[in-house]
Amino acid sequence: MIVIGLVLVAAVVVLVALPFLREPVATDDRLDAPTDADARRLALIEERDHALAALKELEFDHRTGKVDDADYRELVGPLRQAAAVALRSLDPPQE
Amino acid sequence: MADLGRAALVVTFGLAVYSLVVGGIAARRNERRLAASARNALYCSFASTLVAAAVLATALVRHDFSFRYVAAHTNRHLPTAYALSAFWGGQEGSLLLWLLVLTGYGALAVAINRRLLRDLTAWVVPVIGGIATFFSFVLVAVASPFDTQTAPFDGAGLTPSLQNPYMVAHPPMLYLGYVGLSVPFAFAAGALLSGRTDERWIVATRRWTLAAWTFLGIGQLLGAHWAYVEVGWGGYYAWDPVENAALMPWLAATAFLHSVMVQERKGMLKVWNMVLVALAFELSVFGTFLTRSGVVNSIHSFAKSSIGPWFLAFVVISSVFSLALIMWRLPLLKAKTKLESALSREAAFLYNNLLLVALCLTILWGVLFPIVTQLVKGETRTIGRPYYDFFLRTFGLPLLLLMGIGPLVAWRKSSLRGLTRMLAWPIAAAAVTGIVLVVVGAGSSRPGLIAYTFSAFVLTTIAVELVRGTRATGSLFTLVARNRRRYGGYVVHASVVLLAIGIAGSSAYSSSVERRLALGQSMTVAGYTLTNRGVTVDRKPNVTETRAHLDVTGPWRGSLSSGDNQYVNPPEPSREVGIHTDWLRGEDLYVIVDESHAKTGVVFVQVLVKPLINLIWVAGIVFLFGSMVALWPDAREQRRLVARLAPVVP
Amino acid sequence: MPTRSPARLVVALAVAGVLAIFLLYTAVAGHSTPTLTPSEIQGKSGKLQVVGTVVGTLHGDSHGASGLQFQLVDPQGHGGKRVDVVYRGSAPPPLFKVGRSVVVSGTYAHGRLQGNDIVTKCPSKYTSAN
Repeated sequence: MIVIGLVLVAAVVVLVALPFLREPVATDDRLDAPTDADARRLALIEERDHALAALKELEFDHRTGKVDDADYRELVGPLRQAAAVALRSLDPPQE
Repeated sequence: MADLGRAALVVTFGLAVYSLVVGGIAARRNERRLAASARNALYCSFASTLVAAAVLATALVRHDFSFRYVAAHTNRHLPTAYALSAFWGGQEGSLLLWLLVLTGYGALAVAINRRLLRDLTAWVVPVIGGIATFFSFVLVAVASPFDTQTAPFDGAGLTPSLQNPYMVAHPPMLYLGYVGLSVPFAFAAGALLSGRTDERWIVATRRWTLAAWTFLGIGQLLGAHWAYVEVGWGGYYAWDPVENAALMPWLAATAFLHSVMVQERKGMLKVWNMVLVALAFELSVFGTFLTRSGVVNSIHSFAKSSIGPWFLAFVVISSVFSLALIMWRLPLLKAKTKLESALSREAAFLYNNLLLVALCLTILWGVLFPIVTQLVKGETRTIGRPYYDFFLRTFGLPLLLLMGIGPLVAWRKSSLRGLTRMLAWPIAAAAVTGIVLVVVGAGSSRPGLIAYTFSAFVLTTIAVELVRGTRATGSLFTLVARNRRRYGGYVVHASVVLLAIGIAGSSAYSSSVERRLALGQSMTVAGYTLTNRGVTVDRKPNVTETRAHLDVTGPWRGSLSSGDNQYVNPPEPSREVGIHTDWLRGEDLYVIVDESHAKTGVVFVQVLVKPLINLIWVAGIVFLFGSMVALWPDAREQRRLVARLAPVVP
Repeated sequence: MPTRSPARLVVALAVAGVLAIFLLYTAVAGHSTPTLTPSEIQGKSGKLQVVGTVVGTLHGDSHGASGLQFQLVDPQGHGGKRVDVVYRGSAPPPLFKVGRSVVVSGTYAHGRLQGNDIVTKCPSKYTSAN
């Protein structure tokens, strides 16, 4: 029983220390957190996805008859605009 | 062997503290290796908790009565399955289960998300570590399952009414639910701590939340069904504090599940979502506190236990922490878009939030009332059933209606003209249903009638949605497969409607008659005639079964028996009721014999007829199916997610 | 000058409405019952609940005219105050017996509780070792 216990504790200690055992000296110890520029880009990507998803949902609702033609015409314009703006503000080469 | 268990828990405690402290430092200082080390500590804490759990499970199966816990909850006669289920039958064991599921879920959630969401996961580790620190501390220092004694020859055994498959499954289901809510909570806290309050944490934890919510729902239905067939008072929910302890977090989680959709589409209700997930988590821990501490009178909880003050302290500290965190990051939680119309999908979700939270807080007030009155007036006052029934109707019926209207309202703004067009069929169906019901006599109960017409309304809206969608995409299967979340959700809504119909039918339209019947005497209830055919006493090795037998005529011909069992080991009685389920007529004939005299054949019997009660159990199956559809992994969605997040991670 | 959207007003009214319903109900209907131990019950009267441990011998039958008679003492055993209970109605739950902790609801007058409902507690689940 004691032997099992000691073996387990030893294993735990090794595992917890592993990152430091593998790389005693680290060239880059940063957590790879997104920089502010990255965060802004992520926000733009989210906006693009939101706009595209909203457009897709509107099309689907229109096709299934939930949104009638009049409402569709009224709503689709602004949504297409938003999507276009979002796509444009991301790096053009992305397209 | 108990030493190994104790040591394993101490190791878990150490690792939990490490992941809390070191994980927090690593996240703050942005250090990769330190964060990885804290993560590994979390994984190891699951392993050591697993060792402790294995020790307890082995002791239970082996009937090792040197473990005080094993002696208190099992005996030699107990079949292995029930001996194992005693793991969660007592306080210490159920806390160990909590910790096991917590470390397991935590390790898994962190492992899955560690590459895509590095900065977020770095903060999730210390939050889970903090929760694990609390539970492992209680297990090590306050309520250990590994206390030993000189082994008695035999243990105390398990109460017979708990030796039942439903009672075996009920606690683990609830735990998978309760503890499951800590994952979205930890990710939400991680988002606030890392300052990344975009919706990544919501997308990452969506399935966790849905799964936890499903487990919590199914767990409650299992408990209700057990109460109905085994405890035998004719009901399935008594608004007991311990029952409410599971309902409250479920309601908060329901609100959260819906409200996040608004944040995902419109970037709104961000503060709501943070508050809701914290509320759900705190209520699940608070529920554990209520159940275990003996602070409120309940049929389930009893002696004041030593863990009470610790749990209360944890709930207070973690609530203050959550609130402070939200207030600190309030500027980051500003909405991207505004609410433009009171008649919009966003507004519908907001009303949904308000009604669910109102119901949840109403129940909380009812549960806390005895404690509050004791503190304020020095006199304990208890709130009874009528209070809960009133508010269930006041908030529940509008919620039912909203379930039908919400999916049909457009985002941003809905025109009244458009809405009435969409609702034409459902309103017609509801009106027709209402008229038909009044004609057949269901007008006797106004809330019942309202519940039925609202249910017809909602079911029609779901049917119309399915028909429209199938017409547009060509096949029902393709429709559902491409929109799992939406249509899985509709199936779940349908299950809630079935639940509402079952509850309305069995409470508003039930009949109950109590009689003393001599041998050969009859009584009539709702068309059934029951005749007393006498009492039998059957002595078996471990139990003496006393039964009164009644012949039934009327819509059904047959016989039912009911009475008491007196067990030998452990020496406990249990009531056994007789139930006949008529699927065609959709009602239960429920017989409770509470006193019978074998010599004279005289019995005292209560007969109930409960219409549509079985829809409640059917609703559970439909609920499970709908959740599974919504949970089903979607390869396309997964690819889109990775494509979205990948560019940001070098 | 930014004009508040009507939506906000509707939402605020909804919240106020919910609160109003709640406060009105609790003020008018109340429906709370005092829950007391035998030592706290002295001098009180009316509809209430008593929490206690069953002691003494059980006389009578709940279905009979004179009901089931027993006594309750404080759950923790403090104070020697006893409450006489006369319970009428369906037979008490199967777990009811001398030594069990119960909650009896009814009307208390002239030193006696006329009980109409008994709730027994499941034994042994979650009690700390005592």
